[in-house]
Amino acid sequence: MACFPTQGADDESKSYGRGLEELPRQAVMNLLLVGISHRTAPVEIRERMHIPASCLSRALQDLARREEILEGLILSTCNRVEVLANVRDYDEGARALRQFLADYHRFDLAPYEHYLYWRRQEEALRHLFRVAASLDSMILGEPQILGQVKQAFQAAREAGALHGTLEEAVNQALAAARRVRRETALGTAAVSVSYAAVELARKIFGSLAGKTVFLVGAGKMSELAARHLAGAGAEAIFVTNRTYERAQELAEAFHGQPVSFEELFDYLSRADIVITSTGAPGFLIRREHAEQLLATRRNRPVFFVDIAVPRDVDPAVNELDNAFVYDIDDLQQVVAANLRQRQREAVWAEEIVEQEVQRTLRRLAARQVVPTIVALEEKLEAIRRAETERFRGRLSTLTAEQREAVDALTRGILNKILHGPISELKRGSSNVERGTLEELIRKIFGVEE
Amino acid sequence: MQPILSWCALALYGLGILLALPSVIRRRPSLSSSALGALGLGLLFHGAALAAQAVALGSLPITDVHSAVSFFAFDATLAFFLVYLRYRITSLGVFMLPFVFVLTLAGTLRGSHDSDAGGFHGGWLLIHTGSMILGYTGLFLTAVAAIMYLIQERELKSKQPRAFYYRLPSLEVCDSLYYRSLVFGLTFLTLGIITGLIWASRAWHGLWEFDPKIVASFVTWIIYLILFSSRWTGSWRGRRGAYVALFGFAAMMVTFLGVSFLSGQHGLLPNPGGRR
Repeated sequence: MACFPTQGADDESKSYGRGLEELPRQAVMNLLLVGISHRTAPVEIRERMHIPASCLSRALQDLARREEILEGLILSTCNRVEVLANVRDYDEGARALRQFLADYHRFDLAPYEHYLYWRRQEEALRHLFRVAASLDSMILGEPQILGQVKQAFQAAREAGALHGTLEEAVNQALAAARRVRRETALGTAAVSVSYAAVELARKIFGSLAGKTVFLVGAGKMSELAARHLAGAGAEAIFVTNRTYERAQELAEAFHGQPVSFEELFDYLSRADIVITSTGAPGFLIRREHAEQLLATRRNRPVFFVDIAVPRDVDPAVNELDNAFVYDIDDLQQVVAANLRQRQREAVWAEEIVEQEVQRTLRRLAARQVVPTIVALEEKLEAIRRAETERFRGRLSTLTAEQREAVDALTRGILNKILHGPISELKRGSSNVERGTLEELIRKIFGVEE
Repeated sequence: MQPILSWCALALYGLGILLALPSVIRRRPSLSSSALGALGLGLLFHGAALAAQAVALGSLPITDVHSAVSFFAFDATLAFFLVYLRYRITSLGVFMLPFVFVLTLAGTLRGSHDSDAGGFHGGWLLIHTGSMILGYTGLFLTAVAAIMYLIQERELKSKQPRAFYYRLPSLEVCDSLYYRSLVFGLTFLTLGIITGLIWASRAWHGLWEFDPKIVASFVTWIIYLILFSSRWTGSWRGRRGAYVALFGFAAMMVTFLGVSFLSGQHGLLPNPGGRR
């Protein structure tokens, strides 16, 4: 599949950052984001808008080549396609972004218009930060998105599409996301049934290293749970099944030991974690079995994960000390509680994100006024030099020391004059205000744009 | 000097507890350095206060009940640090430190009361009291571990994870802390009782049979001994053992504090009768 349209290929040699070199890049900060995500569009729409990783580099080059677009970032995952750009002008930029998407996908964007969302400046920045921190994810706090944003960032940098305000913004978004990971428990509680089983096992046994797992009945679900448990460090694995061959097969997959179904109770007391998923019509493991097994184990705890329907383990076993029984509904209940827990953590995470967004805005804005400050200083310095030059004849009688004093004097006056406007520029609270203030100062001092 | 140091220690402990709370509520993997700093500084002040008192007395400050309580609180804070460094349980502070705070407060309130309890001198006595306090510290930890175990066990049995499920360590960790501190505490309790008997037989010339504190100590010691031996059979493992540990701790506190006010020989306070 061709990644890109037609016209892209031949003018590859042209510099895509054409015209950018002359501009004070830092001076521009017009962030514009267009996106489509699981919140706004069903999967059949999202997949049509998808930009595969293999095409990302070409797409980014085409994006950055456009006159109206100074910098660009493309984030395309299975849940979202977003293009974030630093543009010269919002209206022109929006047109360019639309055109870019239409060119890339080679279809008219009009029918998709209502799936798209647009964000500007602070809103765009906040969106990026929330996405990176996994606050906008389908499963709140899922860990992959941070890696995906990082990849998008690298791809954009390699394609030469980032080199100023936006680069800094994405960098800060990544740092904020890492801070959220570090300072909240947003991504910690298990949100799938099989992981919830592992998490519960950890809450009972602490480390799972050296623990023994017994698979009673072989099914997809128990296999998955066993895989997670083995991944978490569980060592010995027994497998039993009505058909011995299936037990053998599965045991082999886990480097475990197959056990014939008749020997089930001989091996049961050796297991710390028992995962049952047989098709037995009644309870396979009853209270008296469990009592006996706990006596043999001298009351070392045992954890039954019963994912069979109808259930294999009598729920009354849970009433025994040191025996814990979770059936499929119980696990689901834990998952639901964990999701609520993540939502609670999300409140902290949102707070951190907001702090970081505001900090980044201040930082970017400070970058923005640098060219004005430099121009201002240069202009006044030029005046000072010209005036000193004009008086050179009359100052010629001065000693070197005195001449230095004059120099220091004039420089001091300049610095005093500049101090006010510069600190005002740096302080400017909102962007709009800063923009007009900057313009005003430029006009007053006659500094050219 | 010494009361000022004690009050500083108390204030720092209080501050440390307050600073530790956000780490627990927000499920951070470790306590904030400000919380640990406040507690550590509190420990230093507490240690300095005890040292000042020791210099003034010319002996370890464990010869009156308030000083002994303060010494116990100091040990318990030290134990908190050791356990925290070993297990990294952030929620441990929530269970241990309020109790430590109350003990320190109790010790500080009458800390200046220097009762020189007559015959309370000599090597055996110091070993006796010191061992007892170390034993109490260990068994206090056992009780804390038992409480954490019981709460976490309840969460797991209820199948409805709530706040504690996410914040408390695993049953295994609670159990390990429980067992280790039990072994430590019981060892020193035994040592304390033996040295106490040796000292008493010398100092009181056999007149000590009905001292209520000694009787209570024996009862406590037997409870813990049974708890310890049940570990081998596994019969009290888990919830039941935890309940017994709490019962044992309650008995011990009665022995330590309650009986001190009744006992003649151990009346670290004004001595009612001339049996010296």
